[in-house]
Amino acid sequence: MIKYGYGGRILRIDLTEQRFRIAPLDSSWIKPVIGGRAANTKRLFEELNPDCDPLEPDNLLIFGIGPLTGSLLTASAYYTVTAKSPLTGILGDSAAGGQFAAEMKLTGFDQIIITGRADSLLYLIVTESGVEFVNCPEYKGKTVLATTDAIRKERKDYSIQVAAIGPAGENLVLFSTVVSSGNRVNGRTGMGAVMGSKNIKAIAVRGSLSLEVADPLAFLSEVKKIEKDILNHEEYQRRYQMGTTRLMEDLNSIGILATRHFQEGVCKYVDRISGQKLASTYKVKNKSCFTCNLHCSRYYVVDDCEAEGPEFETLCSFTSRIGNSDLPFALEMNSYLNQMGLDSISTSEVIGWIIECQEKGLISAEDLDGLSISWGETDKIREVVDMIAFRRGIGDRLANGAKKLSESFGEEAKKLVMQVKGLDIICGDPRGIKAYGLTYAIASRGADHLRAEPYFELTNRREEAKKRFGTEKAADRLAEEGKAALVSYSEKIALLTDSLTMCKNIGLCMDILNFEKASALLKAGAGIDYSPEYLKKIMGDLIDIEFKLNRRFGLKREDNTLPERFQKESFKEGPTKGSTVDIQRMVDEYYKIHKWEE
Amino acid sequence: MIRIDISKCTGCKRCESACAFFRTGRINNRLARIKVMNLYEIGIDGPVVCNQCQEGYCNCCPEDAITISSLGQVIVSPTRCTLCGACEQACPVGAIEIFNDFVYVCDLCGGRPKCVEACTEGAITYDKEEQEHPSLAIFKKKAKKINPSQKRYSYLKKLGFEVRKNWRKEHD
Repeated sequence: MIKYGYGGRILRIDLTEQRFRIAPLDSSWIKPVIGGRAANTKRLFEELNPDCDPLEPDNLLIFGIGPLTGSLLTASAYYTVTAKSPLTGILGDSAAGGQFAAEMKLTGFDQIIITGRADSLLYLIVTESGVEFVNCPEYKGKTVLATTDAIRKERKDYSIQVAAIGPAGENLVLFSTVVSSGNRVNGRTGMGAVMGSKNIKAIAVRGSLSLEVADPLAFLSEVKKIEKDILNHEEYQRRYQMGTTRLMEDLNSIGILATRHFQEGVCKYVDRISGQKLASTYKVKNKSCFTCNLHCSRYYVVDDCEAEGPEFETLCSFTSRIGNSDLPFALEMNSYLNQMGLDSISTSEVIGWIIECQEKGLISAEDLDGLSISWGETDKIREVVDMIAFRRGIGDRLANGAKKLSESFGEEAKKLVMQVKGLDIICGDPRGIKAYGLTYAIASRGADHLRAEPYFELTNRREEAKKRFGTEKAADRLAEEGKAALVSYSEKIALLTDSLTMCKNIGLCMDILNFEKASALLKAGAGIDYSPEYLKKIMGDLIDIEFKLNRRFGLKREDNTLPERFQKESFKEGPTKGSTVDIQRMVDEYYKIHKWEE
Repeated sequence: MIRIDISKCTGCKRCESACAFFRTGRINNRLARIKVMNLYEIGIDGPVVCNQCQEGYCNCCPEDAITISSLGQVIVSPTRCTLCGACEQACPVGAIEIFNDFVYVCDLCGGRPKCVEACTEGAITYDKEEQEHPSLAIFKKKAKKINPSQKRYSYLKKLGFEVRKNWRKEHD
């Protein structure tokens, strides 16, 4: 019987029948997966028919948290949403911080598993006693904030936390998002569309159960150590000031800031769109996830627009990546995308791809119902984003994502889609960060850095690299050598962080979490003995499960690659000049480490 | 008394969690005597805690279960309290609330408030000598017939109005 940390129950919701069932969480089931992302993946692996259409009722939509979620542990504030992705057709999941997860903990459910489809639009109120199904036809078309506000008002309780979809999710845009805490986004792989396909506008959580840890004093002492590690960290000040947006300058300084759709790695006007500029001109205060002492999120005010954020990916996606130097426009887009429920990276990829293809004469305006866009054309971009969110006009085709859109065009145009496995690539150019390149290629949800976040390669810690990965080259961003070893280490820490539902910036980028600390936290928090070696082993096992699951979805070894541009073309200038990625070599080494010979 | 500067609050709820944890050994916002609200639609976050108001609204207990102690804090006698809810109803800002047969209101942790220690942003301060107690009269009228959560919300919304004016001013 599970006593500490966990709620110890799972909630199964059948939307078609409007029924729910509360089941105990089996301790032998949960121990080898801990919680969060890993537990969701295992659930999908065990219960999903792999051939299902992601937007049909038999897809599973899972909300998961971990044993330490909502505890005093700094930024243990994440929840993961998992389903088969409508964008990629493979494993889809996305995590978000903010306040939702901590409130979900108080309902006593470690996982919420949703199947079926409701007849009409409704929202769910999840409390410790189960679910209430609330019809809400009048919520159709509402933004995330309006939905959140309406539910709280209706229920007369402002501690309710809401995860909602915007119009984009209702309209089944394949890269639509789930958004909680107003601006906290489960951005990637189209989880909003899955929620929309089930006719759920929002999931509201409000619990009155309490979280207890096994050994409060020992737990507190572990937490204090981590808080101290954060405060004493060399990046603390800049992270507090700018959050992830500091990466605008950092990536630009090493020549890998996605610029003009990856045609360039240095953005000449970076000073006008940087994290520094944002912090000094528009930021009005810091914001935070539950119980975090870093407070790296920010709130900004600009003209008629205000919102929390943006993070680096959104900022870059709507500035340099699409050739735009107008920072207020990017801030407006951040708010708009969050409220409509659109993934900023995938939205930007559609736009950037069209611009580049049109510039190169590969696509004409006639091909796209008269649409023609060029770099930084903000008025048109604003219009296009709106058309995507509502699937209006040509927006209906754009809403299927860049890869699917490209399928009706020629080979040259297809090659220019910056994606892996159907997921659009993030804003760091892999030619200058090879371990990231490998991560994009092998990531189980498609081109993404968060599956491993091998930030270590940017730290220049050469001696430490030799000790940990057998070669100093692991800390050399331009080398391929040692990167498979680095990635196969940090993907385990990434999964561990996601399973504890901690923040990756802290756990991984700041290099604060490791197997030893996790073992101590789990012992004091959940009262379960995990040796560091055992943790390492189960994380490896789970990565194997992800691999097997994706194989069921039809993924093949050759899908683990990068767009041709990164392998063949190099930059003519900047600190990453002349570099291309030998992705095959790294993938081969990575497969060897995993013993995944097919 | 405890003073709050909501312009510095990031909404992290470290104060709330520390309050619940150190007083009950558990985490649950309903067990906290300081409660943080996130007003997402206007970007305002803030904790609500007993203001030790001039009016002493909650000190209207028909059973005489409430006393004001030496530091100005509200002390509820669990033996006299009948959970009638008069104090909860009287407080204009939702700083006193009943949950699971217990009255939750800030008692300053006897003089070393844990919430103050937990806040890394300087949004919560404690001054033992502070004599100037605020008036909550302007919140009292609107607070009739609404629950403590609604009261906290409208109180913070009002305070947030001033903060937001400053945001715009700084920005211009």
